[in-house]
Formats: sequence, C-alpha cells, structure tokens
Amino acid sequence: MAQVVMKELNKKYDEVHAVKDVNLHIRDKEFVVLVGPSGCGKSTTLRMVAGLEEITGGEIVIGDRVVNDLPPKDRDIAMVFQNYALYPHMTVYDNMAFGLKMRKFPKTEIEKRVQDAADILGIRELLKRKPRQLSGGQRQRVAVGRAIVRHPQVFLFDEPLSNLDAKLRVQMRVELKRLHDRLETTAIYVTHDQVEAMTLGDRVVVMKDGWIQQVGEPLELYGKPANKFVAGFIGSPAMNFAEATVSEEGGSVIVTNPGMRIAVAPARAERLRAYKGQTVTLGIRPEDLHIAAGDGRTGIDAVVEVVEPLGSEILLDVKVGSHVMVARVEPTVRAKVHEKIRLNVEPDRLHFFDAKTEAAI
Amino acid sequence: MRSPRSPSRRRRDIQLAYLLLAPALLFLGVVFVYPVGWEVWTSLTDLSPLKDGSAEFVGLANYRHLPDDDRFWWAAFVTVGYAVVTTLAKLTLGLGFALLLARPFRGRALVFLAIFLPWAYPAGVSVIGWYWTLNPPTTTAYAPFMGHVKYAVDSVLGFGAWAFLSVALFNIWRGSSFIAVLLLAGINAIPPELFECALLESKSAWRRFRLVTVPLLKPFLALAVFLSLTTAFADLANVWMLTAGRIVFPVIGTHAYFLAIKAGHYGPASALSLTMVPVLLVILLVLFRLFDPPRQEAA
Repeated sequence: MAQVVMKELNKKYDEVHAVKDVNLHIRDKEFVVLVGPSGCGKSTTLRMVAGLEEITGGEIVIGDRVVNDLPPKDRDIAMVFQNYALYPHMTVYDNMAFGLKMRKFPKTEIEKRVQDAADILGIRELLKRKPRQLSGGQRQRVAVGRAIVRHPQVFLFDEPLSNLDAKLRVQMRVELKRLHDRLETTAIYVTHDQVEAMTLGDRVVVMKDGWIQQVGEPLELYGKPANKFVAGFIGSPAMNFAEATVSEEGGSVIVTNPGMRIAVAPARAERLRAYKGQTVTLGIRPEDLHIAAGDGRTGIDAVVEVVEPLGSEILLDVKVGSHVMVARVEPTVRAKVHEKIRLNVEPDRLHFFDAKTEAAI
Repeated sequence: MRSPRSPSRRRRDIQLAYLLLAPALLFLGVVFVYPVGWEVWTSLTDLSPLKDGSAEFVGLANYRHLPDDDRFWWAAFVTVGYAVVTTLAKLTLGLGFALLLARPFRGRALVFLAIFLPWAYPAGVSVIGWYWTLNPPTTTAYAPFMGHVKYAVDSVLGFGAWAFLSVALFNIWRGSSFIAVLLLAGINAIPPELFECALLESKSAWRRFRLVTVPLLKPFLALAVFLSLTTAFADLANVWMLTAGRIVFPVIGTHAYFLAIKAGHYGPASALSLTMVPVLLVILLVLFRLFDPPRQEAA
C-alpha cells in the first residue's frame, strides 16, 4: 500500500509562507496532479514529499510511515525533474542504473531492470549513448526510465514535460498515462498546464498562493469549480466573468448588467435570492454561449470584435457592455467583425461567485 | 552556413581576417615569440657578460651539460615536488572551501571574503603579509615563538627547510583561495537537480561526492590543476620575494635566475629554463583534453 497523506502541511521560508495547511489524501495507485500558477506552492509540496525541502509544520505519510525525518533515499520514491537531470558523464544505461548502483543492487538485477524499462519506453537502442547525443524527448524518456527501474512506491514528477515542444508534449502525455495504467504506481505530478492536469490526473489539486483551492476529478473541477479562481484557471479558453446585479421579477430570479439580462434556473435561484439587490460575479463558459435564434426577453447583446476560425470551432471575441467575452460556436456560424449579435445561455449552465469572497454560490 | 562566394571574394575575406588579427599577432610577436626565440637562440650559445667578444654558437652543449650538473637535478626535483605538493594541497583545500561555500549559511559572505582576499590582493602585498606572519616586524611574544618554529623545522629537515615550507604554504594559502572561487563557479554552473537526484539515491555524502560531484566538476578541476601547475612551475617571484634570494631549495626558475643574472651564464640558464617547456606542454595537453573534451556528435 502506498498512499500519500499530507496533514496540515506547511512550509515557511524566511519571508515567504509557501505552503499553507495542505491536507491531501492520495490513494494507492492514484495519479494526482498538483496544478497552479508559478509560486502557488505545488513544487514545494512535491519537494517536501521527496525530502528535498524540510517540512516546517505538519506531517507527510508515505505508505503507513511518517516520513518527516526520513532522508530522501529511504522514502522509496523516484523523481523525474523538469530538465531531466541526467548525468552528462554517464551513458544512458549508467544513468538508468544509477539509483540501483547507489543502492548496491546485484549487477544481474540492475541489468534486467534497465533492459525491461528500456523496452517499455522504446529506448533500448539508446542505452550506450551519452545524454548529449539525445533529443529532448529521448532524454525525458531516459529520465522516466531511471525512475521506473527503481520500482518505487511513489513517482514524483516535477513539470517533466515543460521543456518539450508542444507536439512532443502531447505525445509524452499520452505515454505517461499509458505507463501509469501499466505500472499502477501512485504518482504525484506537478504542472502549471491545466490541460496536462486534466488529461493526466485521476484527481487534480488546484493550488494558489500556497493554499489548496479545490481537489477533484477533472470534470468535477470543470463543472463545479469551488471558486472564481478555479473556474478561471481550468478550461481553455477561460470562463467569462461579468459583474451582474441580482433582482427578482414575478417570482423568478434575474441577473442583469448593461447589455445582459438572464433568468436564473429555479434550482439555483434559491441560493441567489440571498444576494437580492447585490452584485455577484457571473461566470459563463465559452461553449455555453450560443447565437440566439429570436429576440427573446432574456439574452446578451454583443458586438463581435474578433473572429478566430479554428476549423472545428470558431471563437468569437465579443464585447458585452464593458466586458469582453469569448464564445465558442459552431464552425457553421457566419459572423463578421463589428456585427451586432444576440447570445443566449442555458440558465442551468451559469456559475455564480460571491463578489467579495469569490466562493461559488 | 556556407553561401556561394567567388574565389576572389573569399581571398579578400581572408586578407581582411589577417588584417584584423595583425595587431594581436604583432603584440604576441613582441611579448612572446621574440623573447622565447631569443632564449632558444641564447641556449645554443655561450653568451655571457663576463666573456669578451661576441657570443659563439655552441650547439646543444648547454643542454648536454645539464644532466651532469647535480644542482640541475636538485632544482628539477624541488620544482616537481613543489608543483605536485602545492597543487594537491590547493586542490583539496580549494574544493573543500568551494563545497562549504556552495550551500547557504549565516555569514557566508564574510567567509567568502576571507577565503578570497589572499588572492584578490596583489602578490607583493600578500607576500609581505605572509612574511610578517612568519617573521613579525614588532616584538611580541609571538616573534620568538615563530623563531623557535623556524629552528625546530630546520633542525629536523635541514637548513632552509622552513624557508621553503613557508614558500609552499604561501603558494597554497594564496592559490587555494583562487581555486576555491573557480570551483565554486563550477559548482554553481551545475544544475542543482543533478545533486538533488543523487540525494534521492544515497545517504552517503562521500559516495555522492565521488560518483557525482567530482565527475561533474572534472573540467573545472582540470582547469584548476592546469593553472596551479603552470604557476608553480614558473614560480620565481614568490620564492624570491619571500626568501629575498637566500635560497637553499632552488626551483628551476630561481636556479636559472641565479645562473643568468647572478653568475652571468646566459647560455646554460636559458637551456635550463627551456627544459621545463616540453614537460609542461605534455601535461597541459592532457589536461586540456580533460577540461575541454572534443564535442561528440549531437543526435
């Protein structure tokens, strides 16, 4: 069993409080991604699990051992670094064998494990080369191989794909996912790329300023973001936000804003009623905005500013009152710049956030 | 990238290149080729201010006589010993200082300054400082103590041992600070992940040092040895300044100086100092390959 549990985990440097009260229970065999903007504490958290950073407060459990005071070597983890961290003076084989040699494994066992890992990763023919003779993708494969041969309880990935070009990144992402299915080892993966987080993670942990914002399965984060930050961070193009005033007309709750008048679905109305007469932040995903057929009483009046025809879809950058919004529409839609259009939105697809606390309503 | 160019255009480019190189070549010619050439020529003659008439060509006679001279062997032995011992000591100390300074701690800046100062000062100033450390100019209890140390060392190792030891210590003191800074720059140039990765695999600092730190630092270590050996082999100033010419343990440099300037035997002195050149060249070539290995083909 190799669960990883963090209890009230804290990291303070002289002036910076990098990780704040992190509580996280990563289950055995789970692939958990820590995601957030730079400086959110995700790498620091990972490095505390690895033992490369001292823990200021709280507890980390790997398996069923508290590892706070355990040296990195004894935590039974293997880590893959962003810049691969391969030793330039060693061959690919020696790089992959390094950890096992340091642990004084018998030669035949090392040989077997390295060959196995090389087969899995398709780098058998590279074993005799030096890292500088490899491409970026090959180097990263070797770095992953070096982690695999250890058969650790937990894999730690620190932005392993960030140095690769976009195409290779997508390819390696799929390979990592396949690898995880095959090895069934608990993995903690740090990235700033929300797409990477969504595609790889069984669960995703969104962090900001040292706090965990939300923990959940990818679609849960997307569909039910806990606050405005998560809503804006997950999804691309990002969720549209607009300030809107809550009012009540004939028993139904309405949110309005210059150029916009939307009736709220009954299921959501109850909680919004408390905000009557106040301003809330309205969130709409780009794909939830549709070109309205007729001239209904509710809807959004918009002026097209930019048209981005991407092929499978078209992104319309539109101006609504003083806000700029992005709508993701069918490729069949013909819209011209400066054209006035009317958009509609499914009432039950709306998101509302408290204007002050930014928490979801 | 090669662009198609006419032969005449190419010729003009080459001419321009030489033209641009000319000042540097001229400078090298004046300060390097001319003196070395003069020395080589002198080593083949019996040039001496003590001799009337012009110098006569004597062929390799000055070189042939070298092996017969016990003082040559003594000087060569002392030079090699001096170079090897000081280099090893400087490397050990310098590496230790560099590893110490590579990690953050309170007062690091002050320690850095203390380590770097001996090298940052001009040699003349450092020599005086060292001289006064061993031979205090003011009378305190310390002065007779250092006197006792000198006689104790000399009585065990022979007259002049203390003087030579003090020169070696000075070289080590001053040189290790330079090597420390050089190696620190080397350590800082290595991505920290390479050290962290080793930390994940082994608790033993010694194993990590041996299997990771040293190989990664190899180019810098080779450069340090390179610089240390060249300065030690060519060390004349430090020996001369610290001992004021009262030399019991001559190195090749001081022996050649003595032969030429004090005794007036220019020919043998030139031959003597040139004997170091092939030895140094071989050592430097080997080290050069180490600290700047030929690039292998990239994938």
